[in-house]
Amino acid sequence: MSKINIYSLIIHFKNLKKTLFSNLFNTTISFLIIVLISVALSNIFVWLIFNANWKVVTSNLPLYAFGSFPANARWRPATWIISLLLLSIFTLCGPKWKWLQKNLLVAWIGTIPLGLYLLYGGFGLSPIMSRHWGGLTLTILLTVCSSILSLPFGIILALCRQSSLPLIKKLSSTYIDVMRSVPLIAVLFFGQLLIPLFLPIGIEIDRVWRAIFAFTLFVSAYIAEDIRGGLQSIPYTQIEAAKSLGLNQYQIIQFVLIPQALRIALPALTNQSIGLFQNTSLMAILGLVELLGVGRSILANPEFIGQYIEVYVWLASVYWMACTIMAILARHLEQRMSINQAYF
Amino acid sequence: MKINQKIFLQLGIFIIFFGLMGILINNLTVNLARTGIGFNFSWLFKPASFALAEHPLPFTSSDSYAWALFIGWLNSLKVIVSSLILATLLGALIGFARAGKNSLLGFISAAYITIIRQTPLLLQLMFWYFVGFLGLKDNMFIQLKNIFSVSNQGIEFSGLTFSSEFLALLLGLSIFTSAFIAEVIRGGILSVSRGQWEAFRSLGLSERKGFIRIILPQALPAIIPGLTSQYLNLAKNSTLAIAVGYSDIYAINDTIINQTGRAIECFIVLLVSFLLLNLLITNTMEIFNKLILKSRKYS
Repeated sequence: MSKINIYSLIIHFKNLKKTLFSNLFNTTISFLIIVLISVALSNIFVWLIFNANWKVVTSNLPLYAFGSFPANARWRPATWIISLLLLSIFTLCGPKWKWLQKNLLVAWIGTIPLGLYLLYGGFGLSPIMSRHWGGLTLTILLTVCSSILSLPFGIILALCRQSSLPLIKKLSSTYIDVMRSVPLIAVLFFGQLLIPLFLPIGIEIDRVWRAIFAFTLFVSAYIAEDIRGGLQSIPYTQIEAAKSLGLNQYQIIQFVLIPQALRIALPALTNQSIGLFQNTSLMAILGLVELLGVGRSILANPEFIGQYIEVYVWLASVYWMACTIMAILARHLEQRMSINQAYF
Repeated sequence: MKINQKIFLQLGIFIIFFGLMGILINNLTVNLARTGIGFNFSWLFKPASFALAEHPLPFTSSDSYAWALFIGWLNSLKVIVSSLILATLLGALIGFARAGKNSLLGFISAAYITIIRQTPLLLQLMFWYFVGFLGLKDNMFIQLKNIFSVSNQGIEFSGLTFSSEFLALLLGLSIFTSAFIAEVIRGGILSVSRGQWEAFRSLGLSERKGFIRIILPQALPAIIPGLTSQYLNLAKNSTLAIAVGYSDIYAINDTIINQTGRAIECFIVLLVSFLLLNLLITNTMEIFNKLILKSRKYS
C-alpha cells in the first residue's frame, strides 16, 4: 500500500514539475504566485489571529442566527436549523438502508411545515409575529419557501410556453420575458410597496410572505426557462411512444415529460436555489432583518462602529459555507438521479 | 383536442386572466383614490428639488424629475459599460488561467471563482464600499505628482475624478461578473476539440499564435451567447447601486417615490428603462455575434 502511495507521489511531483516549471515563462509565473500566496496567506493569518476583534461576532451570535426572536423561544428556530443540518448530514453520509432512502424526500418536505410551525407557534407554542423573525433563520425560510413554491409555478409556465394554444403560449412567454429582463430588486420592491395597493381594503399580507411571493414570481420565470430546456431536449420519439401506448395528453405530461425534464434541468434548478439563497440578502435593503440585515444593524450599533471587515468576513464565510453545503447536496442528488437512470 | 375545445379553453383562460386583472386594477384605483394620489405622469415635468452627487450632464435641483431620471439612466449606463469592459478583461484573464496548463494558476483562479460566486453580490459591494474606499483614512492620500490620487473621496486621475461610490460599484460588479465570465470562457475553450490543439502544434505554430489564431476563433461562437446573458445579469445587478449610494436609475426612482409617493408610475418608468437597457445590450451583442460569424465564414 505504502509503496503504491510513494510511487504515485513521485508521479505527482513529476507532473507538477511538468505543469509548473516547463519553461521560463511558466517558472517565473509559478514562483511569483507562490511568493504572492505566501505573503497574502501570512498577512491574512496574522490579521485573523491577532488584529481582528472577533467580539463583534462572538457576542452577537444569537442575533446572527435568530434575529430579534424572543430569547426564551430561541430553541424553536435552533431546533429547526439543527434538524436541517442533521438531515443534510444524514442524506450525505447516513446508512444506505432502502426504507430510509425512500423516506428522506418525505423528511425534507416535512421540514417546511415543521419550520413554519416552530416559527409561528400556536398549538401549544406561544405565537410569535413574523416581524420578530430574522437572521439566518429568516434567510433559510425565505429560500426554502420561495424555491418550493416557484417549482410548480415554473413547471406550469414552461408547459404553457410549449403549448399549442397561441393565447396561453403568448401570455406565459410574455410573463417569462418581462420577468427575466427586470432586476430582482425591482420585483422585491413591487412585493413590498405595490402588492398592498393591489389588494382589496382590509386584506393584508405580512412582509415576509410578500417577500416570498415576490421571490416566487421572479424565480419561477427562470425555473420555467430551465425546465423548458429540459422539455426541449426530450426526443419526440418519447411522445410518439407514449401515444402509441395509449396514454392521453395529461398522462404524457405527468409520466413522460415532467420526470425527464426535471432530471435534465436538475443542475440548473439547484443553481437557481443557490442563487436564491444569496439573493435573499437583497431584502436587507428593503427592510427585512435577514442575515445581512442583522450585520447592518449590528454595524449601526455605536459599540461596534467601524468593524466592517470582521462582520463582512464573518457573513461572507457563513454564506459561503451554506452555499457549499447546498452545492454538495445538489451534487449528491444528481448522482442519485443518474444511478436511477442506469436501471432503465 | 378538437378545435371547438381549444377555442373554449382559450376563451375561458382569457376571461379568467382579464377578469383577475380587472379586479386587481379596480383594487388599485380604489386604493389610489383613497390615498388621494391618483395616477398621472404630469409630475415628471415638475422641479425635482433634490441634488445629485453624480451627473454626467448638468443637473440642478430646479431641473425636472424627467431630467433626473434621464441622468440616472445615463449613470446606470456609465457604470454598466465600464464594468462590462473591466469584467470581460478580468474574466478572460481568469478563464484563460483556469483553462491553462499551469495547475497552480488553475488552483488560484478556481479558488477566486468559488469565493466570488458563493457569496452574495450585495455583501461584496458593501465590502468594497465600506472597507475598500470609506476605510481609507483622510490622511492616507496616495499621490503621484498631482496626476493620480486616491482617498476616501474617490480617485482623481489627471483632472478626471471618480467618486468612491462609482468605483466601489465598478469594482464589485466587475469582480463578481468576472467570475461568471471566466467560467463561460473556460467552457468555450474546452468546447474546442483536442484535435485542434494537436493539429496546430503539429503544423509548427507556437502556443500563443495557435491559441489566438486557431482556438479562440472557434471558441468565440460558444462564448458569445454566455457572455450576452452575463452582460444582462450585470445590467440587472447594477441596480444594487442603491446599497453604496450611487445614483443610478433605481436609486433615483426610489428617491422620487419617497418624495412624491408615486410608486406605480415610478415602477413603470423603471420597467421601461430596463427594457431599453436590455434591448441596447442584446442588439449590440447581436451585431457583434454576426460580425464574428461573418469573419469566420470568409476566413
